[in-house]
Amino acid sequence: MWNLQEYRIASSPAEAVALLRKGPGKGAYIAGGTDMLLEHPACDFVVDINNAGIGDIARTPGEDLFIGAAATLQGLADHDFVRDFAGGAVSLAASQCGNRPVRSTATMGGNLCNALPSADMAPVLLALDATCYIADEDSQESLPLTDFFVGPRLTVLEDRLLVGVALPGDCAGWRCASHKLTRTAEDISLVQVAVALGIKDDRIQEARIALGAVSPVPMRATLAETMLMGQEVAAVTPDVMRDVANIAAGECDPLDDHRASADYRRDMVNVLTRRLVTRILNSGGENREGGAA
Amino acid sequence: MKVVGRNVTKIDAFKLARGEPVFTDDFHREGMLYAKVLRSPHPHAKILNVNASAALELDGVVDVIWHRDVKAIPHTRAGQSHPEPSPYDTLVLPPKARFIGDRVAVVVAESAAQATAALARLEVEYEELPALTDMDEALAETEVLIHEEPDPRGISEAGATNVAARIDKQVGDVDAALKDCDLVVTRTYYLPRVQASHIEPHVSIAWIDEDDRLIVRTSTQVPFHLRRMLARILEIPEARIRVIKPRVGGGFGDKQELVIEDLVSVLALRTGRPVRLEFTREEELTAARYRHPQRITMTTGVMNDGTIVANRMHVLADTGAYGSHALTVQGNTGQKVLPMYPAANIHFQVDCVYTNNPISGAFRGYGAPQGCFALESHIDEVALELGMDRLELRKKNHIKLGDTDPLSAKLGEGKEGLVRVVNSTGLDKAIELGCEAIGWGKKSEPSAPHLKRGLGMALAMQGSGIAGVDWGGATVKLNDDGSVNLSVGATDIGQGSDTVLAQMCAEELGIPYDKVIILSSDTDLTPFDVGAYASSTTYVSGGAVVKAAAEVRGQLAGVLGAHWECGPEEIVFSDGRVTGPREQSMTMGDVALFALYEAKIQPMATASHMSDDSPPPFAAQFAEVEVDTETGQVHLRRFVSAVDCGTPIHPRLAEGQIEGAVAQGLGYALFEEVLLDRTGRVLNPNFLDYKIASSLDVPDMVTILVSTDEPTGPYGAKAAGEVPIDGPAPAIVNAIRDAVGVRMYRIPATSERVWRGLKEETR
Amino acid sequence: MNISFNLNGTATDLEVAPGETLLQALRAAKVFSPKLGCETGDCGSCTVLLDGQPVNSCMVVAARADGHRVTTMEGLLGDDLMVRLQTELVEHGAVQCGYCIPGLLISLYALMKQGLPAGEDIDEKTIRHALTGNLCRCTGYVKPVEAARAVAAAMEVPK
Repeated sequence: MWNLQEYRIASSPAEAVALLRKGPGKGAYIAGGTDMLLEHPACDFVVDINNAGIGDIARTPGEDLFIGAAATLQGLADHDFVRDFAGGAVSLAASQCGNRPVRSTATMGGNLCNALPSADMAPVLLALDATCYIADEDSQESLPLTDFFVGPRLTVLEDRLLVGVALPGDCAGWRCASHKLTRTAEDISLVQVAVALGIKDDRIQEARIALGAVSPVPMRATLAETMLMGQEVAAVTPDVMRDVANIAAGECDPLDDHRASADYRRDMVNVLTRRLVTRILNSGGENREGGAA
Repeated sequence: MKVVGRNVTKIDAFKLARGEPVFTDDFHREGMLYAKVLRSPHPHAKILNVNASAALELDGVVDVIWHRDVKAIPHTRAGQSHPEPSPYDTLVLPPKARFIGDRVAVVVAESAAQATAALARLEVEYEELPALTDMDEALAETEVLIHEEPDPRGISEAGATNVAARIDKQVGDVDAALKDCDLVVTRTYYLPRVQASHIEPHVSIAWIDEDDRLIVRTSTQVPFHLRRMLARILEIPEARIRVIKPRVGGGFGDKQELVIEDLVSVLALRTGRPVRLEFTREEELTAARYRHPQRITMTTGVMNDGTIVANRMHVLADTGAYGSHALTVQGNTGQKVLPMYPAANIHFQVDCVYTNNPISGAFRGYGAPQGCFALESHIDEVALELGMDRLELRKKNHIKLGDTDPLSAKLGEGKEGLVRVVNSTGLDKAIELGCEAIGWGKKSEPSAPHLKRGLGMALAMQGSGIAGVDWGGATVKLNDDGSVNLSVGATDIGQGSDTVLAQMCAEELGIPYDKVIILSSDTDLTPFDVGAYASSTTYVSGGAVVKAAAEVRGQLAGVLGAHWECGPEEIVFSDGRVTGPREQSMTMGDVALFALYEAKIQPMATASHMSDDSPPPFAAQFAEVEVDTETGQVHLRRFVSAVDCGTPIHPRLAEGQIEGAVAQGLGYALFEEVLLDRTGRVLNPNFLDYKIASSLDVPDMVTILVSTDEPTGPYGAKAAGEVPIDGPAPAIVNAIRDAVGVRMYRIPATSERVWRGLKEETR
Repeated sequence: MNISFNLNGTATDLEVAPGETLLQALRAAKVFSPKLGCETGDCGSCTVLLDGQPVNSCMVVAARADGHRVTTMEGLLGDDLMVRLQTELVEHGAVQCGYCIPGLLISLYALMKQGLPAGEDIDEKTIRHALTGNLCRCTGYVKPVEAARAVAAAMEVPK
């Protein structure tokens, strides 16, 4: 059994931070708890943030999509706003994370804060320019998700609380597709790639390529993105797509482990990046883009 | 047939669906203690001392035991008939740890949490020894010995090598025959370590009852073997032990072994209190049992017309730290597999070695899935080299009705076997129907250029019980209302044997199925049975049920014959009624009343059944795959099984056996593998990383029962439980070869392995 | 610590440890239908409903249930939909060892109770997705899925 001394419940983000800092001993935030019950991290107490008012999913007046850290993955998978945003890429990623009962309680925030290189929600959120909101006892800070991950299982948070992420309204119309490569249908990812393209007047105005499970932290393949930025759609020939995919594969830094070798992971970044770019560009004017590669 | 052959409602299904408390752990006894095992962190180390004082200071900790506390009585934990053909190389608590995960000490406490906490406070002194985790190194090594016991029994080459078992049997002369063959093909195949992964973990509860007897409630396939083994290990008479088998949440061979029952028994006897031990999933995947990993080299000699003249199979197998089932599993690898193509010259060799890896043992198929993978992959390779159609090559050579299994007389379970002749076979029909269902020869078009489709097939045969060894008893007793109590030692572990045996009993007595009250597997209350393994229950235990029911029928016919003044043979039992030759007719209830209160006899019989035969069930299995040539991912699109299990007693349950076996077999083919590092540490001891098939991983499945009438089986039945797990892996891998030209000599055919194969192919 | 929650329609107080899982707490309270299978949220034998949503009770801290509604098979034995599901599973031969079955039934129940957006049927694919968290080692899922389809087909689906 997980050796905990105390279970505290916070009713606001500020209270959560205060409860964590109060001691005595070491504390940790808990939302769904599905990762923590796997790992039983050494701590004296936990602070439950499910009642801290950060579980909502909302569209702001600027049409940004705000996802509370304590929003469950099933909630994201089923949510109408989210299913409409960027072709439903965020919903799709959430629906591929864990199995159905896990998604009932596992949260987006937990997935990000656990900060595994393979965090299922990270690539698609990175590809859609997510901003993180972080609460302190009496202040709040925001920063791009790209700066949130510091290393494997390490974020910028220290003892602060992730409140949620916002996706800019501009991204709502981007075409986004992602693919999670796994050993069986329901599995931790061996490689995950998410591609988002903002296309206007047949020109790629914005390009994002995000990779999971192939570097110490979820990452963007910025060099590959640069090759696509500003290109006319018609100019992105199969050869160009191949080059983009090669560059992306060169940018990642995968490890060998018992799930897959670094060689295989790198080649899969190549294959999946090419397929996703191809598929988005071949999908024509229709912006709705989800589904697997 | 009124009951046999029908899809009656499975006898325990409703209570299971209602979640009733019927499993070992759905039970609580006052004062129950919880046990946890301290496991070795070293692959090979003497256990010099265990200091438990810090652990014993913790709240709730009642007792700690290690090897100094338990008498060293060598035994095997394999649940087999006495005398077991497995080496006596195991102690309850060993003075030397032989793998990472071996038992070092056991804690009992008032709660599981307290017991777990206490494990961390045990101080153990080890003396580390050089470890052997590679099969070839273990085979060559003569200095570092994993078993060097002074009193070895059944350890093949104790004190000299690390060999746990060797087999070398030959029919004809393979070397001489190969010289005259038009073509000789040699290939080597590699089989992984996989785990049964029944969803209910190993769990046992033991207590001492008011008569000072040891009661063990446990999730097992072999209650009677357990009682005998416990008596030996504990040095108490069998009469003082009662083993109760409640519902079992799957076994698949992994519970044909004494995995934890000795520990709860020792601790219950020491503390006088009920003791419960339940494995975690991590323990299941590190300290239960695996299908033996093997390396198999096949050499086959053929003539240009496709006649297989000679077949040689050499098996190198890893039994791990202990040798339970070492000889017999590996024996099966050849014995259950090679007879499929009864060439005049067959040579079967096994070297099964001890290593400092976790323990291998029984798992559904019992060696045959390994052998079948090698043979059926190899047949495709031979066909390719020969330029002959792979289906035609199989049809030309496979065993036919009336053929003698060439290996059966040479290879029994650790002794000479009995001659086996094929008295029933639906294999040709199975091939025909299977080909039709999969669309053999017609490849469908994939949906994208990077996808390629392929078809593959495999043939398989197994046995129905162990000839001349397996036997079971059954007792039938008639009650006042015409219902009967059927008591069997045969062990329902979820496969539905209670239902099938009740059907046979009802059929034999001409009563409705719901008039049979079955009790299975309680050593105090039911007759002996070897247990649920070796595909024996329907065929062997079913034979006992039929005999016992027939004897009760004979008793009733005797009583009624006297009453009705007719011959007993003139009396008919059907539809719940008993009818005489002159329009006499009584319900079975009235017959019971007459017997009990007029004739004053208890119609009741116990019968035993053993078979000198073990008729093979046959399977022809077919796979269609789609391979992604860039990622190496294999999508199993369709799978067809056509299985001859004799006359199915309950077709739907037989289908269920096949469908479940296919799901396990496709995992073997594509993703299941327990991974070890160089020290023998398991890298993936959980379902996050040891993947078994989920609802999305199984293909569109077609299951065809090819009914035959086995003359030696009850109602024409043969076995169904194991044969369908043999074919999926070779069928799938043959389909991959068909799709992309890559032969996967090593399974599972993970996407990365297929990707590597494709890279090498294009190089 | 003490938790108060609605267990199968009955207000229930339990004394639990802060790190205890809901599965441990339920079984200690002699609610035996949720089964322990893996304790990593993979096998689904311990599936229960938490406020109507299927969860792995091994992956929920018991304290989390405080003030919430927990439903296990014991609480659904008289429920029409559950009885239909049980009956179809039994009649299709989908119950072999039965260890995974209460959890699997809870997942199917949650799927069918929740229903789907208008115009969508509970088809085989939907059923298979709903069952990814319920590992069954006996059946190959063929008969459980057939049984669930039979129940879904007989349901009135909002169009």
